[in-house]
Amino acid sequence: MEGSNQSDDFIAAGLASYGIEADEIELAVIGAAHQTFWPPILELLELDTSQVPSEPDPDLSQAPPSR
Amino acid sequence: MSEPLDLTLREQAAAIAAGEVDAGELLQACLQRIEERNPALNAVVETFPEHSREMLAAAPRGPLHGVPIVIKDEWPLPWRAQRFGAAEMLAETEPGESGPYRALRDAGAVVVGVGNMHELGASSTGNISVYGPARNPWNPERCPGGSSSGPASAVAARLVAGAVGADGVGSIRYPATYCGLTGLKPTFGRSAMAGHHMAAISTTIVSGALCADAADCRLLDSVLFGEELRAGTPDGLRIGVVRNEVSEDVAPAVREACEGAIEELRQETGGEVREIELPELAAATLATVLIANSESLGGVTPERLNHLDPELSPIGRGLLKYRVLLPAIATIKAGQVRAMARRTLARVFEEVDVIAWPTVPAVAPPLEAPLVELPSGTLTADEANVRGGALANLTGIPAISVPVGSSEGLPVGLQLQAPWACDELLLDAAEALERANGRRWVEALPPAARGAEPLEA
Repeated sequence: MEGSNQSDDFIAAGLASYGIEADEIELAVIGAAHQTFWPPILELLELDTSQVPSEPDPDLSQAPPSR
Repeated sequence: MSEPLDLTLREQAAAIAAGEVDAGELLQACLQRIEERNPALNAVVETFPEHSREMLAAAPRGPLHGVPIVIKDEWPLPWRAQRFGAAEMLAETEPGESGPYRALRDAGAVVVGVGNMHELGASSTGNISVYGPARNPWNPERCPGGSSSGPASAVAARLVAGAVGADGVGSIRYPATYCGLTGLKPTFGRSAMAGHHMAAISTTIVSGALCADAADCRLLDSVLFGEELRAGTPDGLRIGVVRNEVSEDVAPAVREACEGAIEELRQETGGEVREIELPELAAATLATVLIANSESLGGVTPERLNHLDPELSPIGRGLLKYRVLLPAIATIKAGQVRAMARRTLARVFEEVDVIAWPTVPAVAPPLEAPLVELPSGTLTADEANVRGGALANLTGIPAISVPVGSSEGLPVGLQLQAPWACDELLLDAAEALERANGRRWVEALPPAARGAEPLEA
């Protein structure tokens, strides 16, 4: 329940901060999307990427340069 | 000779070149067939006979001279702006010569119609579109796959022998699988993209062919690539398989068909199967979704989001608004995951030639409720499908979906992925697989393509 309230707060505050309006159905869609995406996003943020050699503006047509 | 419209793409091209089929008559027959079969499928959302006839009249003697082609509603034509399957697409569009259009025109092809697509390209199912959903020729109550729903449905129903789709997160391969076709997602940057409304900003989207088999994809993709994709022999193919959710959290019949096909491919090529590790796969899937969604935000302003066209679906409106809440730090992490995944793949491809797993974990779900039953439980088709489709878009590698079986009367597809710029190898491997199974699955025809009676939707 607490998690759900936090989500509701996040969505409402986030949209409000941009001045974006949403009707009830849109809010339901946004809530469902948030439930799907947010847990893996939090996991992603925990991922240690400090050792990843950066590849800014990668050339996706070929393999990364070997280093 | 068979009905010319039922010939393969290459056979149509050869028959026209040899004077055995009149291109004008083929075009007329194609328009007639669209009129007869399309109402039950909604695969083609617009035809323009006069423009098609003008294209034919001016067509050069190229490799597709006189051959009718459907192009997805993602590309502008000189007489028609794309609508992206949506009432509003948050990008300015106008009629024009897209790269795929020019490639087709210069090859002598005739654009005969525009293919339906999932609204805003935002789903693997094809069940929402401003035109109403396209339907699956194997069962009109099932999803055709998305987002290239119309191109796939049109080819499967033999309205045309080839269609041009686009693949930003699996959008050629999912509908290829659901409709029993072969669909190639080219290496990023290798196929024509000019004129796409996101060409300048997308790092995931490519154009590509959907056809009945690999040889037809080779022909149509050669046109889209602007270079001949030469055939080779994939002897001693080293096939990489993973042991994780993309290969194991899969409907039993799909798993069985795909594992059988991998073994057939191994035997046909005298190759071997090796287990590989892709530890970043789950993170790569999310990273792809984050990158693809954030790249589409360029034209978004709060003002526009507050005045979306009411004809845009509630799901489309909600998802557009949710995208602005995605945190920037997650997108930055996604870029790092992309770098990790590309390095991992570069290492893996020193050990194997292709990576194989089911394109999607279950056959086409119902249009009304696109859910799939997997060993782990019930998932939305999108959640399940993106697991296997995203890696190629994130990293840039080519991938192909090949029909390899059937379950519940619906097609099953195997995905093969190869190193960067090895698109030809995927076509070679797909042809080896066709030889191994006697072309059983590429020649299987859905009820909608068997002729006489139009399907009831």
